[in-house]
Amino acid sequence: METPLGHKHPLSQVIAEINSIFAEIGFTFAEGPERELVAFNFDALNVPKDHPSRDMQDTFYLADKPDVVMRTHTSPVQVRHMKSHTPPIKMICPGKVFRNEATDATHEAQFFQIEGLMIDTDVSLGHMKGVLEYFFSRFFGGEVQVRFRPSFFPFVEPGVEVDMMIAHSPDNKLSGRWIEIMGAGMVHPNVLEASGIDSTKYQGFAFGMGMDRLAVLKYGIDDIRLMYNGDLRFTNQF
Amino acid sequence: MKFSYNWLQSLLEKPLPPAVELGDLITFHSAEIEELIDVAGDTVLDVKVLPDKSAWLMSHRGLAKEIAVITKNTLKADPFLNPVSLNSDERIKVELKTPACDFYSAALITGVKVGPSPDWLKERLVALGQRSINNIVDATNYVMFEIGQPLHAFDADKLSHEGGHHIVVRQASEGEKITTLTGEEYELSVSDALIVDGGNNVPVGIAGVKGGAVAAVDAGTTNILLESAHFDRFAVRKTAKTLKLQTDASKRYENGICRAIAPIALTRVIELILEVAGGTTEVVTAVGDVSVERQPVTVTLSEINSLLGVNLTMRDVEDILNRFAYTYTTDGDTITVTPPFERDDLVIAEDVVEEIGRIYGLGHIVSIPPMVGAVAEVNVRHYYSEKIREALMALGFSEVYTSSFRNKDVVKLENALATDKGYLRSSLVENLREARTSNVPHRDLLGLNAVKIFEIGTVFGAESEEFRVGLAVQTGTSYKAKVDDTLLEEALAALATTLGVTLTFISKEEGIVEFSLDTLLPQLPVVTAYEPAAELPKITYRPFSLYPAVSRDIAMWVPEAVMAGAVEEILAANAGPLCVRLTHVDTFSKDGKTSLAFRLVFQSNEKTLTDEEVQGYMDTLYKTVADQGWEAR
Repeated sequence: METPLGHKHPLSQVIAEINSIFAEIGFTFAEGPERELVAFNFDALNVPKDHPSRDMQDTFYLADKPDVVMRTHTSPVQVRHMKSHTPPIKMICPGKVFRNEATDATHEAQFFQIEGLMIDTDVSLGHMKGVLEYFFSRFFGGEVQVRFRPSFFPFVEPGVEVDMMIAHSPDNKLSGRWIEIMGAGMVHPNVLEASGIDSTKYQGFAFGMGMDRLAVLKYGIDDIRLMYNGDLRFTNQF
Repeated sequence: MKFSYNWLQSLLEKPLPPAVELGDLITFHSAEIEELIDVAGDTVLDVKVLPDKSAWLMSHRGLAKEIAVITKNTLKADPFLNPVSLNSDERIKVELKTPACDFYSAALITGVKVGPSPDWLKERLVALGQRSINNIVDATNYVMFEIGQPLHAFDADKLSHEGGHHIVVRQASEGEKITTLTGEEYELSVSDALIVDGGNNVPVGIAGVKGGAVAAVDAGTTNILLESAHFDRFAVRKTAKTLKLQTDASKRYENGICRAIAPIALTRVIELILEVAGGTTEVVTAVGDVSVERQPVTVTLSEINSLLGVNLTMRDVEDILNRFAYTYTTDGDTITVTPPFERDDLVIAEDVVEEIGRIYGLGHIVSIPPMVGAVAEVNVRHYYSEKIREALMALGFSEVYTSSFRNKDVVKLENALATDKGYLRSSLVENLREARTSNVPHRDLLGLNAVKIFEIGTVFGAESEEFRVGLAVQTGTSYKAKVDDTLLEEALAALATTLGVTLTFISKEEGIVEFSLDTLLPQLPVVTAYEPAAELPKITYRPFSLYPAVSRDIAMWVPEAVMAGAVEEILAANAGPLCVRLTHVDTFSKDGKTSLAFRLVFQSNEKTLTDEEVQGYMDTLYKTVADQGWEAR
């Protein structure tokens, strides 16, 4: 038997595509630790001290280290990036995150997220709409429209829910309908200040979504747990 | 929260848009509608009330107000426009002995007639999925769903009342017990607050969560004591969570309902009870402070336009503020808004920007296309990870992602999801070993002669974490140094060539090797740009069968002129629907004949195949071979 070519994991493929699309518009790829300080994972992100997401039933804490968690989102990477860079800032941060929740076909205790951040003196929700439409159009192929609905996340104000619609195409099952895809908003001034950015001078948007969901939508994967169990019957289809 | 369309309509002057249209308007201007439910003569809107709006939007008055602003309608009567001030009346003694309660109002109504609620009241509650209990309890629930304030009715005669009623709000003592209205007994701790009958120190309610059985209103009740109080959101949340007893009341307190609503609700529920159950109001009392001072919030027109990316005028903004009926002043392009007492979510300028934006319509935001431009820095780890992937894939290695958790390792989690996931992995080796083992049985199905996998991922030491690369190889059913190490060395040599460095390994045994990517990166050439991404074919994942695959080989002599491809086609056409893979595995020639060998893999999506079933398919193939005049070996 000849040696067949190996296969790239779909999440690696998604990360590579995301990076290459965002790199075209000047967004850098930032990273940070998966084991994170509460100060970066919650405090700097304006998450109230009593917020339910801090509970042990949602967040993994490390034994004997009440100030350290497995990051619950990649947002602390945004904080770290703002602390070490000055605006204008354009970055994305794909990475693994952890939630203490029961697993099923659409939930995993560890999964991948992609977040993005753009900060300058005049960045608005209009810029965010443009960036997201550009990204989704490139990622899914075809023209993608984006719309916002009011939402709430402690780290943004205003906060929005983002839906996307791929222009109708007969061979694309995802096309022609609105799909709820991510949470986003204008970075809360408390977050900017906690990250060392002057909120009276700078403003910007942040967004975040499950990378697993992008892979699920793009490839029609029916169970996200398949992405994390090392089964080549899954990986070798990609 | 569930809202009744008819109820909302009853609170508004002008006709509502049809339910579906109303649902969309709410979704795009206020909060997401999860579902519209048709119930007898009504439509229920299930609204996912956002956390920052939960203090005031978890009531029909709250949503009706939103609808009024969104659709330019008017509330018929807004109870919040007439703040109620209640005085203390010693005929009901109220003592607040805990910071968990900062306001408590009560009313004694005598001579009520407990009975079924009138139909209109029943319909309202039933539409929301509530059970109608009796006119008194229904009235308290009705007012809660109407204006958001939880209320409670005690049977006043079941409370001690010699010399007047006496209500105490205090912390529970450790182990103190209470049986709730629905009969469950709860054991409390010192962090839980109780409503207690001051006459006998008996608990009659879990503060902000649920009433007790001891003073429950029943068919024989004639005198009632109503409670409308304000409890601390954190205290209620803690108790509801500890007792696993989340109620309509606790949810509203947890979300920080404004205390100024409590006296308004008491006045309202008294009025309703007199209407549906009769009786006479004997005493109304209140203890504590309900004053709320909202700080003015200043925002400029340019901030509004700059954050939202729109071009509103002062007139547009003022129009929206007027629809809210907010108190505000303007000075040039500066607007100062004083939020109404119930709105705890308007604190900074951005909060006002959100109000303006959502009512104006986020749909008006116009996309600003991004500028194409180079990145300021290249992510070296990503760049070289991709190089490593490409080099390994070329040699038949497939990438896996495995769990960051292990059953035993260096760094322990405080709250593991399961006992076998209690630690963070300090190495990729064990995960790769397990993934390798679990893939060995699938080699034939996947057409592989060896399982060759790799992972690039984070591992955790006591204090540090780093990215590592791990490779694992296995050809047979167990590790064979001679074959497997050769494949592994080939891969490592290719990696060394691709990266242009000598690799140093953390471990290398039994066909599994691991090295640190982070240690390697500083030794690699500087990168200033990413390579263009390759165009990839569109892939659609197909669910695979979870039943075992069965492999069978067939070999035959064919005349030298017969090509393997032609034989393969004939076999494929006759192998039956469960043949999921057919691989040509061997060829040799001897004495003018060619020997061809093929491996067939059979698998069902519905069951585990038996030997007999597979043999049936093989028999057909042997017959096919014989019919062709070939000689099976």
